[in-house]
Amino acid sequence: MPVLECKGLTKRFGRVPALEDVSLAIEPGRIVGLLGPNGSGKTTLIKLANGLLTPDGGYMAVCGAPPGRESHGLVSYLPERTAIPTWMSAKQLLDFYGDFYQDFRREAAEEMLERLNIRPAQTIKQMSKGTREKVQLIMVMSREAKLYLLDEPIGGVDPATRDYILSTIIGNYNPEASVVLSTHLISDVEKVLDEVIFINQGRVVLQSTVDDIREEQGKSVDELFREVFKC
Amino acid sequence: MLRKLVKHEFRATARVMLPMYLILLVTAVGSNLAGRGMMNGHSDILNTLAVIIVMAFGFAIAGVLLMSFVLMIQRFYKNLLQDEGYLMFTLPVSIHQHIWSKLIVSAVWFVATVLAIIAASLIVAYDVGFLRGFFDFLSWFFEGLQKLKISETLNGTAYLVEFAVLMFLSLAAFSLQFYAALAAGHSRANHKMLWSVVWFFGFQFGLQFLGSMLFITLDRLHIPFPFDLEIHSAEAAIHVGLLMASGFVIVYGAIFYAVTTFFLKKHLNLE
Repeated sequence: MPVLECKGLTKRFGRVPALEDVSLAIEPGRIVGLLGPNGSGKTTLIKLANGLLTPDGGYMAVCGAPPGRESHGLVSYLPERTAIPTWMSAKQLLDFYGDFYQDFRREAAEEMLERLNIRPAQTIKQMSKGTREKVQLIMVMSREAKLYLLDEPIGGVDPATRDYILSTIIGNYNPEASVVLSTHLISDVEKVLDEVIFINQGRVVLQSTVDDIREEQGKSVDELFREVFKC
Repeated sequence: MLRKLVKHEFRATARVMLPMYLILLVTAVGSNLAGRGMMNGHSDILNTLAVIIVMAFGFAIAGVLLMSFVLMIQRFYKNLLQDEGYLMFTLPVSIHQHIWSKLIVSAVWFVATVLAIIAASLIVAYDVGFLRGFFDFLSWFFEGLQKLKISETLNGTAYLVEFAVLMFLSLAAFSLQFYAALAAGHSRANHKMLWSVVWFFGFQFGLQFLGSMLFITLDRLHIPFPFDLEIHSAEAAIHVGLLMASGFVIVYGAIFYAVTTFFLKKHLNLE
């Protein structure tokens, strides 16, 4: 059973279409790059999968259920913005995740926070923007979820932080789960991807494995991306 | 899960409300001491300070009342419809639990605020000469109560309870009207806050219009009172009136609860 499945999914903002007739399926155990230029519909698709937006048409299932309370317990979501309450301390944030998610591995999260020299009493407000993003990622990756939906996890950060983020993702995800990672920074993520979905102007233009792209087209994902999305 | 939501909602709001209560307590004690000083002292500087402290107590009362009201709206808006909504709406909890957690915590803070203001007022009045009249009034009031018949005492207590229940329900219903307007406004793709204000006034107008039409229609139809209550006395009429008012407020709250749930469940459009 696919962990994420869409059929004819459509979303409009007013009269502006954000997603048009999107159909795709993501199987368990895959690391999938949701790749496309800015404004192509990546965030909209991820927000729909999290039930944060209501579709205008089509069908979507996350772990076999429509996005909602049931799927929220199985999906670990990293939004493209800081969503963790800034008044909370690191300890209160750990309590929060531990209270609501049965699959939350508190020890793993504590260990990662300690490695970043974050004190339990330190509030999110006292942290730099980069540290907040790392803390949010640590919370998300400390869950043993069935599906990780990571929206622009490496957008707007320096190369060293990018490396930290990617190693945190790879080092902590549940291997039986799937990871969907949206970005337009292809070269940074290419090495960790099993599969890619190219999305442009709200439509899926390609879904393929990275191996197929390399073997059949003789190109890297980055090269193919530049070709497909050439301005 | 509701218990956990309530726990974290208290954590989020206590950091605002508890310091407010502390300010109220400090200014109440200060006002008490200032009252004593004004009774006994003749220094202009001390008298001016005393007046400032008493004014600060007045501001603290206004502030704590305002804050418990603002917090009720702000928490719903900021925690659910702004960036934190990305975390809250992806928790494995239902929309009903989200709404109830906000309602319960708001209602508790409203009640706590009323109790805190009463307690602070008693502190201000405690053993201060020119406020002894207040205690004289209280003792006169309670002596008067003792002279009442049992039925009158029971009626009085019941009025108080019924009135308190009506106030509590009204606060919850009023909160829900704000929640409904915010939820409806934020279902739009653009100008979410503007739409929320439009929805709020739309609800207000709609309710007033429907309520007026209902009363006019009932009056014209001369429908007999639906319950077979023989209202022999003014006391009974007040009980019936308070209970009916509570019933109307429950319906009013239920409508906005349904609207809030509908928009958050079916038309959530987080920016």
